[in-house]
Amino acid sequence: MRYLVLAIALAACQSLDVSRDVGARCDLASDCNERCLVPSGDWPGGFCTITCDTAASCPSDATCIDEQGGVCAFKCVGNGDCTFLGAGYTCQMVDSHGAGIKVGVCRGG
Amino acid sequence: MSRGLALALVLAAGTAHADDAVTTSVTPPDMSDQGIGAEIGAAIGGRVTPGGLRLAGHYLYQLSDQDYFDGTATFTYGGGSAGCFRDRMNNFVCDHGLASGGGVEIAAGVRRFFGGRDQFWPFARAGVGLAIVRYQDDSVTGLAIPVHLGGGVRAEVADGVAIVGEGSLDLGFGVFNHSLGLQPQVGLAITAGAEFRL
Repeated sequence: MRYLVLAIALAACQSLDVSRDVGARCDLASDCNERCLVPSGDWPGGFCTITCDTAASCPSDATCIDEQGGVCAFKCVGNGDCTFLGAGYTCQMVDSHGAGIKVGVCRGG
Repeated sequence: MSRGLALALVLAAGTAHADDAVTTSVTPPDMSDQGIGAEIGAAIGGRVTPGGLRLAGHYLYQLSDQDYFDGTATFTYGGGSAGCFRDRMNNFVCDHGLASGGGVEIAAGVRRFFGGRDQFWPFARAGVGLAIVRYQDDSVTGLAIPVHLGGGVRAEVADGVAIVGEGSLDLGFGVFNHSLGLQPQVGLAITAGAEFRL
């Protein structure tokens, strides 16, 4: 009984590193809370994201990049930070949206 | 003489105490062998465990001096929007909020009273249920078997009428569609309501 309770608790507490807001795979906007960057070389498997004006509009592990009017993407400092997104994602320096600087984010291409 | 008197008093006191033990019930004196009740409260779920407004109906049937069978029909109404998505491994996963989804459940359990003071009677409750869980916005449906562990207090407020407050920890598993398969069920509920003697 004790192990059953432990198993249930562990299974229920598994953390998710992506969400319908940012990071989930998608083909359509309805797969996400707001919008889908459809599968392409830039966004392998599709990438759920939300529109942003500044980094403050994004979750803490994401930042606002200057693409398609400003969208949130996961921050990174090296390719190893992007492996959780699967094959095709690497850490790239892109223009931030609203800050005028370069930032490292996970994306394809 | 005085020693004999003392012995008689001790024996008399012992007998009276024994009589008290025999006549003192461990179930509320206002309850008969059957009762019904209705409760309202809140349930906390998450992931694929529904949460929100909780409505419950009880049927109680006395099993022993201390125990009642507690048959329950429970409805959970939660809000929330779509919470399921495909993760990066292309697995369909759900991350609903604490008060999302809906569920209907029937459960069978045992309520054990521990003896009360004045009109307040604490009890523990354990049971197992069969539930249908539904998340409308994601078209996710499951069949769950939760185990309920909890307790509460019953207080008589009028002849044959009592108010009840209880809390419950709900643990179990459910089988869901959309390739979710077997998923854990973990929830908490707090409800209060009224019970009536039959």
